[in-house]
Amino acid sequence: MSQRDRAVAAVRVAGRGRARRRALTWRRRRQLAGLLCVLPALACTTIFFFVPLGLDFWMSFNQWPLLGDHQFVGLQNYAQAVHDPGFLGSVGVTVLYTVIITPLLLVLAFVLAVLTQGADRASRFFRTLYFLPVPVGLASASYLFVWLVQPNVGPIGRVLQLAGVVQQPPVWLAATIPALLVVVGMVVWKVTGLQMILLMAGMQSIPDAMHEAATVDGAGWWRRFLFITMPLLRPTLALVLVFSVAGSLLAFDQFYIITAGGPSNSTLTAVYTIYRTSFVSFHLGYGAALSILTMLVLAAVSAVQLLLIRQSTELS
Amino acid sequence: MKARTLGAMLAALLLAACSGAGGGSSGTTTLTLWARDSEKTFIGQIVDAFNQSHKNIHVDVTIIPANNSFVQKLGTATANGSGPDVVSIDLVFVPYFAKAGALMDITSRARALPYLAGFDSAHMKLANYNGKLYALPFTAESSVVFYNKTLFQKAGLDPSKPPTTWAELEAAAVKVRGLGGNTYGYVWPGANGGASIFELAPFVWASGGEVVGGTPAQSVPMFNSPAVTDMLTFMHGMAQEGVIPPSASTDTTSNSLTAFQSGTVGMTPAGAFFIPQLESSKTFDWGVFPIPGKNGGFSSFAGGDEISVGSNTKNAGAAWTFVQWATDMSAQQAMAKQGVMPVRLDLASTIYTPLNPAYSIFVQALQQGHTVDSVVENALINDNNGPWATMIHDAIFNGNIKATQDAAQTKAQAIVAAG
Repeated sequence: MSQRDRAVAAVRVAGRGRARRRALTWRRRRQLAGLLCVLPALACTTIFFFVPLGLDFWMSFNQWPLLGDHQFVGLQNYAQAVHDPGFLGSVGVTVLYTVIITPLLLVLAFVLAVLTQGADRASRFFRTLYFLPVPVGLASASYLFVWLVQPNVGPIGRVLQLAGVVQQPPVWLAATIPALLVVVGMVVWKVTGLQMILLMAGMQSIPDAMHEAATVDGAGWWRRFLFITMPLLRPTLALVLVFSVAGSLLAFDQFYIITAGGPSNSTLTAVYTIYRTSFVSFHLGYGAALSILTMLVLAAVSAVQLLLIRQSTELS
Repeated sequence: MKARTLGAMLAALLLAACSGAGGGSSGTTTLTLWARDSEKTFIGQIVDAFNQSHKNIHVDVTIIPANNSFVQKLGTATANGSGPDVVSIDLVFVPYFAKAGALMDITSRARALPYLAGFDSAHMKLANYNGKLYALPFTAESSVVFYNKTLFQKAGLDPSKPPTTWAELEAAAVKVRGLGGNTYGYVWPGANGGASIFELAPFVWASGGEVVGGTPAQSVPMFNSPAVTDMLTFMHGMAQEGVIPPSASTDTTSNSLTAFQSGTVGMTPAGAFFIPQLESSKTFDWGVFPIPGKNGGFSSFAGGDEISVGSNTKNAGAAWTFVQWATDMSAQQAMAKQGVMPVRLDLASTIYTPLNPAYSIFVQALQQGHTVDSVVENALINDNNGPWATMIHDAIFNGNIKATQDAAQTKAQAIVAAG
């Protein structure tokens, strides 16, 4: 595009020598203005992303204690990482969590979006209700759930006990699967509303004319849903998926607060392991290598999902 | 108005900088002191007293929350040169920071103190690294068992004769649990590494065993030793008998103390720090007894803080003045009045034990105290996801003791090897 612009401008310049200086100045000014406009963002990205990223890369090739001298060790950290049962185990936990939470969030958000997309008062009420947990901080929500499932003071165990379902309030966080379920429950409660709103925005951007045309052609609700809503929603779906999967693969806060990695380290996620490597064991170089590996996986997963967006925009 | 405040702040900064560089100038030297959050009840008063009696030195306290973040913050601050002038630090972390160069060598200054021999020996051991002294003992803490005399009475036990062996402790716990309902015999935070070294390791030490041996730089974990097996078997037995509340298995904080305070638990191990909290809501009669060995005897964790000059300081002289003052009579006495056990055992009988009949048991326990002297103490023991914490939790609540111990031992050795 810009090449063509330049060619057109060059032809113009050649044709009208007098306008030459003015045209160039105008273009330069525009370029300069553009540069000035992106400069703050560029500076921020450089300082807060590219520089730390470069530093992270450099650290990952070193044995780097928190205090004291560091030492270049080449790829040793990476070689250690691919055989580290602790890290690989935490990657497994992270993948398991992502595989559980992603479809759960998406399906629930989809159902809620379909149910509450109307303009009537009831729809608005329930939409607000489902969105309410979204502004709650992740840490606050985590502590809330820790309290809810506490066997001594939490209401959930008490309610189950009063209902006669259990004899004693269960200790949810004492076993892996229930502990994972508590985290999943919290995230579902907190995040579904956001995905619902995003999907709803996507649904509402589909022109009514399409639905009307299909109705005239005799398509029922299901057929319209399957052949109009779903295909046109693909870019939004892909966007929601990228956000959701990236967020789940980077899960840390909710596990740090609710399960503390327990019981028996069975809910340590990848980022949790990176945190512990760097700030409990003080092996910053090894922690940096684990961060780079996690980033590569995340980039690959996101790339695949972005390919989905491109395909779907081409289709539409 | 704003500009004026800013001007004043700048002037103050300049003044601080000048006096810092000048040393002997007439300005006031400002020192930063870091302390952990468990000290917030008394550290402010101590510092106020110091500031009032020292016209040319002013100390500012920063309270650093929670143990794990203390280590991180001191480590990162020291790494980028912004560490405090004076730091009060959990004694178990002193070997690591001494080795890492975060603390100043104060050997020659400390040798001149007339009361050096009066300090608790465990604190002195950890303050020494490679033959040099990097800290002075500051506060003391020992672990004992708190018991609910009212519940003991109800369960048909004699409150004036607390348990002295493991078998007696277990029998008492079973009897209290026999009261039924939500009443349990024994509790401690079962998913907390720091609490488990403070509260369970003394059972091992009192029976002649050890948890971590070797030298600070080359530790020898003894997680799979027979003495540790014995302790885990004893605790696992109590868990199986149902005398330990199931919620203890996920407790990473201090819910066990709250449970004891509510009057529903017969016994819980804790330190002298628990007394003010316990006395604030007196609904039952309580007492303390030393943590017993298998067949008698007793031991304790020798805990508390050391105080040290940070290696980033530009005012080593003033910092040392504070360190010396904090370990001397008037500061130790002021802390004792706040319920803090003095680390000067030469003073304990005059300034501490007369204040409360329970205090003498804490001092006796401290004299039999042990601790973990290792540069990787945090990763080995205090880390709630580390080998000690996971071994304690898994062996006691899930059983399979020997295999759990062997797995923990392997992980602990890997941590020592990685340094």
